[in-house]
Amino acid sequence: MGTVHARSLDALPMQGPELGFQADDIEAPETEPEPKQEVLENRDVVVQRVHIDGLGRTKEDLLTYEIAEVFRAKNLIDVMKMSHEARQKLLRLGIFRKVEVVIDTSQGEDALPNGLDVTFEVTELRRMTGSYSTMVGNNEGSMVLGLKLPNVFGRAEKLTFQFSYGTKETSYGLSFFKPQPGHFERNISLGVYKVTGQFPWSSLRETDRGISAELNFPLWKTNQTLKWEGVWRELGCLARTASFAVREESGHSLKSSLSHAMVIDTRNSSILPRKGGLLKIHQELAGYTGGDASFLKEDFEIQLNKPLFWDSVLSASLWGGLLLPIGDKPTSIADRFYLGGPTSIRGFSMYSMGPQSEGDYLGGEAYWAGGLHLYTPLPFRPSMGGFGDLFRTHFFVNAGNLCNLNYGEGPQAHLKKLAECIRWSYGLGIMLRLGNIARLELNYCIPMGVQSGDRICDGVQFGAGIRFL
Amino acid sequence: MLLTAAEPWPENATLYQPLTEDQILLSDCASSLAVQAYLRMCGLPVQVVSRANAEYMSPSGKIPFIHVGNQVVSELGPIVQFTKAKGHSLSDGLDDVQRAEMKAYMELVNNMLLTAELYIQWCDDATAAEISRPRYSSPYSWPLSNILAYQKQWEVRRKMNAIGWGGKTLEQVYEDVSQCCQALSQRLGTQPYFFNKQPTELDALVFGHLFTILTTRLTNSELAERIKSYSNLLSFCKRIEQTYFEDKSS
Repeated sequence: MGTVHARSLDALPMQGPELGFQADDIEAPETEPEPKQEVLENRDVVVQRVHIDGLGRTKEDLLTYEIAEVFRAKNLIDVMKMSHEARQKLLRLGIFRKVEVVIDTSQGEDALPNGLDVTFEVTELRRMTGSYSTMVGNNEGSMVLGLKLPNVFGRAEKLTFQFSYGTKETSYGLSFFKPQPGHFERNISLGVYKVTGQFPWSSLRETDRGISAELNFPLWKTNQTLKWEGVWRELGCLARTASFAVREESGHSLKSSLSHAMVIDTRNSSILPRKGGLLKIHQELAGYTGGDASFLKEDFEIQLNKPLFWDSVLSASLWGGLLLPIGDKPTSIADRFYLGGPTSIRGFSMYSMGPQSEGDYLGGEAYWAGGLHLYTPLPFRPSMGGFGDLFRTHFFVNAGNLCNLNYGEGPQAHLKKLAECIRWSYGLGIMLRLGNIARLELNYCIPMGVQSGDRICDGVQFGAGIRFL
Repeated sequence: MLLTAAEPWPENATLYQPLTEDQILLSDCASSLAVQAYLRMCGLPVQVVSRANAEYMSPSGKIPFIHVGNQVVSELGPIVQFTKAKGHSLSDGLDDVQRAEMKAYMELVNNMLLTAELYIQWCDDATAAEISRPRYSSPYSWPLSNILAYQKQWEVRRKMNAIGWGGKTLEQVYEDVSQCCQALSQRLGTQPYFFNKQPTELDALVFGHLFTILTTRLTNSELAERIKSYSNLLSFCKRIEQTYFEDKSS
């Protein structure tokens, strides 16, 4: 990828003429060959100048934050480490195609004997890039065409236009992303979009046209997101045979909501974690900034992973959510929670659990779902570190419940309702990890605790997605 | 129609229309009243329910629609067919010539009266701004209210242009209404109903439109005045109101 060259430092007595390193090899100072390391480490250096060559439209003040650390290096190993980190920081801005670091002795009249010049040679991305990709969502796939303008005004702002055509959804949207210079994790996103979705489990068709403004920032160990969204929602029946309950939800409504999300993610991978945990808490308040919809929605997601003997991983997850309508208008089918499917409670058909009317599932206002999984490598271990590594066998137990709130009864009655008639399932299967983006599962499921009205998928069930229970 | 002919008319049949107080417009009110009159004439009980999204609930997008058993049927024509399949009909006693005449007059009412109502509501700027747009958008909050109201207005104007009414003036529309009323008045003559003793769906349709026009306040009362000049139509409306709607307060 990138290369860090250290030219010969004439003032130093060295055994070899040149040292060449691959940047990725620099994990810790111990990787350097021993005799040279002693010589180098003892040598104090001063970084006199840091240049960035190859800037076109990027504004310099944006980059000074990223490279500021390099000046603090006191010896050569530090210089290499800091420059490597600065290089990673420059790359994550998403505005450079390539960044190379060159460390040289200082030249010029004011050059100190132990002075160093560090130069970052960057290649900016083109003004406009197009992309075509396929995306995997939860049990749906889509083709995505994108047009991106990276670094529009010179400070790592990004303007993206995306068109996506998928099995369940068609959407297009325009978004503008701006990070705070020096603190890339603090950023703001503005977007405008139109999404059309078809939900056969509810015989519902939904078209959303909306605008959103989002602010992300890290706070201590967490990642916080504040978002305002204004959506014009249009609901309709997917077929003439839709139930009357779904027909009653047809029409237009406006939702203007403020939401907040907090995420702590210490997992080493989101698709197939070996260790670490995830805590995600999300709340949404609609109705106080205008609009027709008025509710308070809370949901959370917890996942804990523990590596066991023989490369296996024990994973436990818990999801839950609550939708409280504010005022006397009932909740809309578009806001309620759905449960069931290869990505949530396996053994049940997609979102086919809970309150329903004539075969159309209407969703629920409160739910919980939990899963306990044991992932083990394939029993016959085809090749260590090869293709076989992407597969896992998978034993699971999933359980959950979904119901509507009955206003007038207290919270005790609701908890009792969620605790009775629990649906659950168990089984085993094979899992395939697709890069770090998605995973495929093929499971043999045995659903239990099936309530009347639920649609089950006992036997073999296939699932693809990014977020699994 | 389907095999539901065997099921009798249920007790909980419901008719859906937009909100009566704040939302419903002249044309929808007329269509709904026509269906209500028809069902009363058939002796079929139906409950009238107001919903803000009635127009979007309807399978055809038009008001009114009825929910009978698990069937949903919208607009007078299909509803007449539906009740006929269940064994209730008002036009069984007519011969073929009369039936053709009835259909022709119903076409006249739909093409003239209904279109005139739509024109006055949406193509006349004063009425659209003062009455139609505020009422149509009343259940929604800003900016959705404006978007939906203008979208509906644009859609109706486009349809008017397509059928050739785009270039008409308000005066011409009033003239058309007068001519339609004259034709109806001549056909009615001194009979109690259009086909002598028994009311048919034509009577229900004419009643729905005329009665609504007479009792709805618009920006000016020109339209109502045109109808009032035909006294037999006025007494026709009163007769039907008293016979079938004596419990309804208009």
